[in-house]
Amino acid sequence: MGKIKELLVELNEEQLIDLVEKELNQGVSPEEILEECQKGMNEIGDLFSKGEMFVSDLMMSGNLFKQVSGELIMPHLGANTSLGDSGKVVLGTVKDDIHDIGKDIVHTVLSAAGFEVIDLGVDVPEEEFVKAVKRHDAKVVGLSCLLASCYQSILNTVEAFKAAGIRDDIKIIIGGGPVDEHVVTYSGADAYGATAQDTVNYCKEVLGNDI
Amino acid sequence: MIYNEVYDKRYHKVKSCIALENDHVVSTYMGQAVPPTYTEGITLAEYMSDSQKGLECFIDFVNHLNEQASIDCINFGYPGGHQGALTISWWSKIKMPGKEMPPDSVWQVEEKKMVEDSDYDVILKEKNTSSVTARILPQIIDQEALDRFFNFYGKEFAGVMCRYVKEGYPVLNCGLLCPPFETLCGGRSMNAFFMDCYKQLDKIKAVQDIMMEGIRQQIASLPTEDYIIGCWVGGWRGASNMVNRKIWDTLVWPYMKETALLLIKRGITPIMHLDACWDRDIERFSELPAKKIILNTDGMTDLRNARKILGNHAALMGDVPSQMLTVSSKEEIKDYVRRLLDDIGPKGTFITAGCDAPSCSKYENLLAIHEAAQEY
Repeated sequence: MGKIKELLVELNEEQLIDLVEKELNQGVSPEEILEECQKGMNEIGDLFSKGEMFVSDLMMSGNLFKQVSGELIMPHLGANTSLGDSGKVVLGTVKDDIHDIGKDIVHTVLSAAGFEVIDLGVDVPEEEFVKAVKRHDAKVVGLSCLLASCYQSILNTVEAFKAAGIRDDIKIIIGGGPVDEHVVTYSGADAYGATAQDTVNYCKEVLGNDI
Repeated sequence: MIYNEVYDKRYHKVKSCIALENDHVVSTYMGQAVPPTYTEGITLAEYMSDSQKGLECFIDFVNHLNEQASIDCINFGYPGGHQGALTISWWSKIKMPGKEMPPDSVWQVEEKKMVEDSDYDVILKEKNTSSVTARILPQIIDQEALDRFFNFYGKEFAGVMCRYVKEGYPVLNCGLLCPPFETLCGGRSMNAFFMDCYKQLDKIKAVQDIMMEGIRQQIASLPTEDYIIGCWVGGWRGASNMVNRKIWDTLVWPYMKETALLLIKRGITPIMHLDACWDRDIERFSELPAKKIILNTDGMTDLRNARKILGNHAALMGDVPSQMLTVSSKEEIKDYVRRLLDDIGPKGTFITAGCDAPSCSKYENLLAIHEAAQEY
């Protein structure tokens, strides 16, 4: 073991798939292989944060992870098995904004890190975020926003949580191209993620997992 | 004198800034979608669809700012025919205010996988993109919007430019060129295209080589009137923080570089519109001729580092972040501008909003950019 993680970090699709198939056939535990892949994704996130890997690498690794975990590993696990139990995160692009690429990257890396992601899609009204948090008892909400004209939607969503009386029960992290600490202050969110890995680290911190 | 006293004075200031010979920073207006926000009786939808009304609204707004703090030039003028320009450049549907969006909501790109797996082979076989664009375009834009685009950049263009001249505003970007990487990324959608870049790099390169011929033809056909200063060369998905070095070296930089060199050869300044972070590769812009280009960044590229690395090789334009224009105070904007100018100097510097000021920018914050430039 260790080679799987290495091949994932190298984004070596062909050899990674070959090796995972070979190890599964040899009876290596699928849980162990999955854990190895998750370690690889974590390392990729760290390299991305250091500027040694790039968004395209993150997307490629996310696709590889989905392929290996979804197509190769999961069939060997039980039907109700999830990729991990790090906690639940409600995610979505705020109202009036239809951009999904950044959100989808965050979804992928959170899933790879073992979080259950409740993805509400794009152009999500504030009340849908509130409903989802209540329904799933999630403790973290990720709001994506690519348009400065939609900062108001972030603020409205935060206000909707206040109105529902659950603002203090959750943490809200925002992200997207034009989002920074100024928008955190403006909207009353708790934090912003400059990168997808920042969001993973924040969720781990909030939900009590090791970073 | 080539046009009128005010225009000529500003024109020379712009030209001297490109050549890094200016003494004072060049105060540059950028905010394509802002004017209707502060104009009664016109929605963003009307502004975008009625080019006469829209242009007057744009010019009135810039004049209003200019009465309070001098504006030396405009980065990108009134966005007439914008839907067509963006659709053709990105092979993506643009959701427009008043159509798919509410009348005062800004336009948004709806990125879907329009370019099919087999389209690369079609382009390679036919050695052009005609069949592919003929299939894609009717799905993402209606004929009326296309006609509006061709009309604006055809019949109306000279009149529009003369209007800016009459008002005394040099407009830096007089056209828009989209490198093949960005077009394919938009048409293929980012996730699929980035995967293609890993799995079939050589094929993508061959397709881009064919697409580049279209850009060469576009550059050859650009007008040459004196008011033509520069042309927008876009890069966002090809930014250094977006793709790894191999992809950048193979699919991004060679095409941006050739585009810039061809423009320079025609006497047109390439205005490298660099969204996201280009720090890793900023030094590569020194491969272009000295004092012939403008690097226009959005607040994510480190302009201090760019000045340090490029020195007097290139003019820089930027970069008050859009989030600050929306939520910060006027004093914070002025402080940002002053600190930036302290660090990179006024020589070869166009000060303006990063990328484009959002439609919801605070008026006083836009004004603060120009006041700070004037006071510096």
